[in-house]
Amino acid sequence: MDDRPEDRLVDEARRGGREAFAELVRRHERQVYGIALRMAGNPAEADDLAQEVFLTAWRSIGSFRGGSSFYTWVYRIAVNVSLTFLKKRAREKNRSPFDENLPVGAPSNGAVSGPEGASALNELAGRVSGAVAQLPAHFRAAFALVVDQGLSHAEAAKVLGCSEKTVSWRMHKARRLLQSRLRTYFEEARS
Amino acid sequence: MRCVTARRRLSDEIDRALRPGRKSRLEAHLRACPACLAYGQRLSRIQAQGRLAGERAPEKWAAFERSLEARLDAVKPGGRHVLRPFAARPRWAWAAAAAMALIAVAAWHAFRQSGGSGVETWAAYDDIVNPLMAAAEADSDLAGRIDREVGAMIDEMAQAPDAEAVALPAADPLFWEGLSDDDLRAIISDLERETGKGGPA
Repeated sequence: MDDRPEDRLVDEARRGGREAFAELVRRHERQVYGIALRMAGNPAEADDLAQEVFLTAWRSIGSFRGGSSFYTWVYRIAVNVSLTFLKKRAREKNRSPFDENLPVGAPSNGAVSGPEGASALNELAGRVSGAVAQLPAHFRAAFALVVDQGLSHAEAAKVLGCSEKTVSWRMHKARRLLQSRLRTYFEEARS
Repeated sequence: MRCVTARRRLSDEIDRALRPGRKSRLEAHLRACPACLAYGQRLSRIQAQGRLAGERAPEKWAAFERSLEARLDAVKPGGRHVLRPFAARPRWAWAAAAAMALIAVAAWHAFRQSGGSGVETWAAYDDIVNPLMAAAEADSDLAGRIDREVGAMIDEMAQAPDAEAVALPAADPLFWEGLSDDDLRAIISDLERETGKGGPA
């Protein structure tokens, strides 16, 4: 792996350095794909979205001033691109107007349960994936950043452009919704 | 500590975002509350199973990079600005949400005055807020108590994690994210009528 520091790669990419940008892609593609997969709900669309994220990053690299980490910036693009995609998908399916507060784009069963949509390793994992896919978009974005990517509330807040308290509340609300949707499973498992 | 508070803090604890002082109070609550303890255990299970495995075979990544390279050939680097996500919330939502603090305090006051018989907050907005404001004008002690209540609510719900959140109690999502469109429209309508900007009442 290229051991150049990230800020140097960013500087080179801003000057049009495609090779430096390719290295940035290699460093962040898995995380960006993970966010896209969580938001889109299936691997094929996640792949397209992840490509669109990096194309957008390349088009916009001149606006990146280094005030935050590159990953913060590129994750933000990933969330934006995913939201745009979800709105478009909702329109194409002739659903009601997109509302970020409503569940969107629920994938087919097990689609987000693991790499390439492999079926769930166990029942709870599959049910959790299905329930997460039903979360409203802004809760799902917080979940993707905090749970999937392991960001702190402060880091996720930078990506989402909100306060840590907002991230904390969204995670709490998301978990409460997940609990509610998985209640039957937990009750069955206990009995 | 109330269970509703404990459950929110359990979520923070899972994310390693709970301050030490709060953690000890949460632990004390959990020792005395089996329901919250069970809730926390279910959260932990969801957390353990919820993480998405985004790994793919190396050849998939190679194909991804080749495809991206080909597409990048057609694109020039530029300086397009990247917006923050969910940036499209209307400004009036913040103003409307700010009014929620006042309504909540007014409802609490009316609830106390009614001897705990209950208050229909939205339907009785004028009935609740206007008498309270009138009473506060004539009673500096009551006005002071309202100020303290509003202040306490703001302190509790918007403990200013950053400069943006300091500006408005409405910056706290507990206020505005839970509001339905109907709630917001009701508040806006009242605000417009009070400020004379909403046309004839």
